[in-house]
Amino acid sequence: MKLLIVEDNYQLADDLSKFLEENGFIIEIANTLKEAKDKVGVYNYDLIILDLGLPDGTGLDVIQELKKINKDPGVLIVTAKNAVEDKVLGLEMGADDFISKPFHKAELNARIRSIIRRKNFKGNSIIEINQIKIDLDSRETFVSEQLVELTRKEYDLLLYFMYNKGRVLTKENIAEHLWGDHIDQADNFDFIYNHIKNLRKKLQKLGADNNIRSVYGMGYKFYEL
Amino acid sequence: MVLRDEKIKAMKIFGLFRLLTKTTFFYLIFILIAFFLSAHYLVHKANKYVTEETESIFKKREWHLTRYLNEYDSIKSFRTTHIELLNDLCDTIKYPVYSDTTVYIEELDETQLHRKKTFVVNAKEKYFLVSMLVNIDDFTKLKKDVAKRVNPSFLLLAFIIVLFSIFMSGYLLKPFHRILEKMNNYQVGEEIDISDVKTSTLEFKKMQILFRHMINRIEEDYRKLKEYTENMAHEIQTPLAIIRNKTERLFSDEAVMKEHKDSVKVIYNETNHLSKLGTTLNLLTKIDNGEYTNKVNLKTYNIILEHLESVKELVELKSLQVEVNLSKEHEFVIDPFLFDIILKNLLRNSIRYASNSGPIKLETSNKLLKISNFGNALDVSNNKIFERFYTSSNSGQSLGLGLALVKRICDLNKLQINYSYSEGQHLFVINSLS
Repeated sequence: MKLLIVEDNYQLADDLSKFLEENGFIIEIANTLKEAKDKVGVYNYDLIILDLGLPDGTGLDVIQELKKINKDPGVLIVTAKNAVEDKVLGLEMGADDFISKPFHKAELNARIRSIIRRKNFKGNSIIEINQIKIDLDSRETFVSEQLVELTRKEYDLLLYFMYNKGRVLTKENIAEHLWGDHIDQADNFDFIYNHIKNLRKKLQKLGADNNIRSVYGMGYKFYEL
Repeated sequence: MVLRDEKIKAMKIFGLFRLLTKTTFFYLIFILIAFFLSAHYLVHKANKYVTEETESIFKKREWHLTRYLNEYDSIKSFRTTHIELLNDLCDTIKYPVYSDTTVYIEELDETQLHRKKTFVVNAKEKYFLVSMLVNIDDFTKLKKDVAKRVNPSFLLLAFIIVLFSIFMSGYLLKPFHRILEKMNNYQVGEEIDISDVKTSTLEFKKMQILFRHMINRIEEDYRKLKEYTENMAHEIQTPLAIIRNKTERLFSDEAVMKEHKDSVKVIYNETNHLSKLGTTLNLLTKIDNGEYTNKVNLKTYNIILEHLESVKELVELKSLQVEVNLSKEHEFVIDPFLFDIILKNLLRNSIRYASNSGPIKLETSNKLLKISNFGNALDVSNNKIFERFYTSSNSGQSLGLGLALVKRICDLNKLQINYSYSEGQHLFVINSLS
């Protein structure tokens, strides 16, 4: 999967690039609007991560450009928080999703995977690690082919872990992914432990091993065993 | 900011008047004084004329009479002249004496006003007391006539002036009022009606041009301010995102975490804190700049239910309960984005600080929205809770901006918010003032 990161800050672009490459993507970077327009004209990408605040214009122009040259990659726009007009405009213009800065890379990963899955009907509608299998189309979870009854948030949590397997997810990260603005960032998040405990119980009841482990008392990691 | 009628009425009461009322008033006062002085002068002049004329007649007659008395011995009185021989001279110092008196004229069958002069004549070594009469009736009648006509003239003139100024106020000041109306309807950041009002009055034209300049400056400043706010948001979040990413990287480094787990955790938390702080302050600024003014009649029923659905599992995980009592008709006049923020903040606070001694309660009715939760009392007074950066001691990393944000939004949307604590419950009540 080839991705284009359009971001004017070199440090950030570099960071994201390394992260996504570790996740198996091929990455190219554009630091300006002009560069972005040039690149999308020449190459084909599966998804574009588009920061709207570029030095020589707004990232939304890239979406215009894509329409003009009849290309249809996934578009994930990166906006500042509370920039309502940007979000609305971007989605109206055809972006697939948006993510607010600052974001957790795990969150970015999940969104990218989600968009790619939606745009690419052929593959990847199943995620499978060890005995756990998720059918993304039907939103069903199986352990060793047996259906598991998960609540909405438990499903979201498991999927998030599986998208980001082997990565430490802090409690803040998890809380923000599941409840966004609805949760107080000053909360002590201890209740997340209960959430994970419930999830584990349901999975282990059907024979799964314990993939989700606590790390340094500050987060959790989904281990592929 | 629109100048409302009540404000204008209040201004009228406290001694501010229409320009033309003022000018009419001063004009009338001036005319009254001018008239009065003119009348006074004219009367004075008329009287002086009468006096001079009659005196000239008296002098002539006196001359003739003196000559007569010097030549002849007999004294004869005429109708207009009465002569007496004077024996006693002691009182003569007061003469000549003038007075006005009415005399009956037989031929005309009328009494008419006469000027009488009484004086002493010395002739042939004798002293005579003479009084003479000169008819001043015509003069006096004329004087009275003129006076009689002046008063109604003045009133008529005053009436015409008032009528005229009412008419002129409509005509002359119309462009002025049109310009005022445009100024009244001007709102920063909105589409402005930039078409010029036609006027040939220099001052109004100047005012219009000045107004146009001012608007342009304001719009420019506003645009710059908005740009600055947006840039700040963007610029601050990017370095923070980088720091956070690097920190997350450190989580995966076992060697680092063994040694520096606590430091890494603190860096991570503080970065999050800064990020949230920047976002919320930026939001406050945008709200203050008037960027969310899409006011609608917002029915709150569905929105509240949606929010509760979003946090349903969160509430359960914390072993809390939520009780709702919502009115389907309840609405606020507010930008939906802002109501979202209010609701999110209040609900978030409730969930965060609720103890499970009782349920979180959400109620809407009439013009009220109430949300309450059980919990420990705060250590500071009720009023301070809405101040920026106020946090209670047990709130850990709390920003202290959430409620300040809510209060600001309420202030700007004619909503009144109150906080109270009683019977173990924190209670927020939002009251619609419109």
